[in-house]
Amino acid sequence: MDDYNETPVQFGPDGSLIGIITTPGDGPMVPVGCILMNMGAIHRIGPRRTNVKLARQMAACGISSIRMDLAGLGDSRPAGETADFRTQAVLDVQAAMNLVGTMLGVHRFVLIGLCSGAHNGLSIAVADPRLIGLLMFDGPNFPGRRARWERSLRRALADPKPGAFFGRVVGVIRRTLLPRQQQAPGDQNIFDSTGPRDSADYFCRSMNQLAERGVATMMFFTGSVQTKDRRRDLLGPFGKEPFARRLDYRFVPEIDHGLISQESQQAFMKLTCDWVLRVIHGDGSPASPALSAAGQSARGPRAASSLATKLEHAGS
Amino acid sequence: MTPMLFGPPQRRLFGLFHPPERERDIAVLVCAPFGQEMVRTHRLFRVLSDRLARAGVAVLRFDCHGTGDSSGDDTDGDLEGWRRDVCTAHEELHRLTAPRRIVWLGSRLGATLAVLAARSGRSDPSRVILWDPIVDGAGYLDTMREKHVSALEASYWVPDRAWRRRLTADKDAFTDELLGFAVSPTLRNQLRALTPQSLQLTASHETIVLADPEDEAANRWAKMQAERQTPVRLSPFQHSLVWTSDPFPNSAMVPAEALQRLVAEING
Repeated sequence: MDDYNETPVQFGPDGSLIGIITTPGDGPMVPVGCILMNMGAIHRIGPRRTNVKLARQMAACGISSIRMDLAGLGDSRPAGETADFRTQAVLDVQAAMNLVGTMLGVHRFVLIGLCSGAHNGLSIAVADPRLIGLLMFDGPNFPGRRARWERSLRRALADPKPGAFFGRVVGVIRRTLLPRQQQAPGDQNIFDSTGPRDSADYFCRSMNQLAERGVATMMFFTGSVQTKDRRRDLLGPFGKEPFARRLDYRFVPEIDHGLISQESQQAFMKLTCDWVLRVIHGDGSPASPALSAAGQSARGPRAASSLATKLEHAGS
Repeated sequence: MTPMLFGPPQRRLFGLFHPPERERDIAVLVCAPFGQEMVRTHRLFRVLSDRLARAGVAVLRFDCHGTGDSSGDDTDGDLEGWRRDVCTAHEELHRLTAPRRIVWLGSRLGATLAVLAARSGRSDPSRVILWDPIVDGAGYLDTMREKHVSALEASYWVPDRAWRRRLTADKDAFTDELLGFAVSPTLRNQLRALTPQSLQLTASHETIVLADPEDEAANRWAKMQAERQTPVRLSPFQHSLVWTSDPFPNSAMVPAEALQRLVAEING
C-alpha cells in the first residue's frame, strides 16, 4: 500500500491550469493543505523532482498537497487575462485553493515557495486569508554592507586560480564605488525582480501584515546565498521589525539553492515537513536555537551526510 | 491537453495527451530523456506537442516510473523497467488513437529506451526518430558525474575543492546521484553495460538518427547499424540546447531550430 494517492487535475479558467493533488494513502488527513509551485521556469515537479518527493513525504504524515504549474509555466496554458505575472500567480493559486477546498474540504493552506516562488508566495499570503503559513526558500534577502563584503571576501579567498583573489577584490571595490551601469531595455530579463512588489518596503510591510494576521513564516536560506550568518544577516535592516520576532529564520549552508545532492534534498524535506507539521499543530513559532543554528560550520554534500539526522536530533 | 495516469496499479505512469485538432493518420509518442535532461526538455516537448496537435498529430508525453510525476522513487528506475514503460505508453496511445500509425520520438536516454523497446517486439512503431541517442552508457555516466560536480561548484557560494579531487581520484564518485537524481546500483550497472555493440536496431520500421556531427559515438553507431542492412538514416543535427543546464529564462528553452527540425522529421 502506497503512503499516498495522486490525482492529476485541470482547473482554473477553461481548465488551463495543470496540477497533481497528493493525499494520504491511508490514515487520517489533517485539515490543512500544502501548495507547491514552480521554481523559476522549472515545471511543477520542482528542482530535482523535489516537489514530488516532498508531496509524498508530507502525505505520509497526513498532509495533502497540490503541486501546480502557474499560468504560462510547465504544462499550464498562458492566462487569457492581461494581469501582470505576480497578480496572475495570486489568481492561479487562489484557483488551486478553491479546487482543493471543493475536492478535499480543506480550506487552510501552507505555501512552500522556492526562489521566485517565495516572491510569489508573499503576494499570495498577503492577498488570501486562507494561507496560514508561508515558507520562503532563498527568497527576498537584504544583506547589509558588512555581510556582502564578508561573503565576497570568503569567495575570493577560496578561489584556487592564481590572481583570482586580486581580481575579485578589484571587482568588489568597483561594484561598491562606481555607479551602476544602466541596463539597456532589451537586456532586461522578464523574471527580474524589479516591480513594486519586489521592493524592500513591500517586503517589510507585507511581513508585518502577515505577522499581525498570525500567519506563520519561515525564511530559509542556503549555502548558495552566503557562507556564514552571524545575526540573521539576510534580514538586513529589518531585524528589529515586529515580524522578525515571530519569524522562523534558518540558514543551512550545507544545502544548495538547486538542491543538487540527495542529502540537500533530504535535509530540505525533513526541515520543511517538520515545520509544516508544527504550523498545522499551531506552533509555527521560531524553533529552538539549536535547530535554527543547525549546520553553521560544516558545508557541502559530504559534510551534510548526517544533516537530516542532525536536524532531527536538534528538533526533538 | 489531458493529464492522466495509466499503466498497472503498482506502476502508474503520468502522461499528458494532446488530442489532434484535425484528422490525420499519425500519432507521436515522446520518450523523454533522464533526470535533469528531462527537466530541461520539458518545455520544448510541450511546445512541440501543441504544435503537432494543431497540425492534426496526436501526441502522448509521459514520465517513466520513478521519474517526473509518475509513481516510484528515483532509485526505482532502471532500463529494463523503463523499456516496458515505453511499451505500456505505446499501448495507451494506441488505445486512444487507433488506427493511427504511431511514431516514436526519443531523445538522449529516451532514445536509447526507444531502441530497446522496439527491439523487444512488444510494440510496433511505424517509425522511430532518435535525437542525440546515448549509445555509450559508460561515457554518459562519466559525462553526467562531471556535470554534477560542475553544477555543485556553480551552486554553492564557496565551492568545496574536494569534490573535483574526488571526481578525479574515484571513478565511482558521484555515480549514485547524477545532477540531483538518485541512481540505483542496478541502473548504474545497466548503463555501464550499454555499448554501441549491445544496442541494435530492428528492421521492422524505419529509424532516423539525428546526431551532432561531433558526436562520434552516435555517428559511428548509426553507420554500423546501416551496414547491418537495417533501414536507418543518419541525419546531422546541431542545435543550441544545452541538455544539462537549468531552464533559466536567459537560456534557449525552446530553440527554434530544434522545434522546426523535429516537426519536419515527424511530418516525414
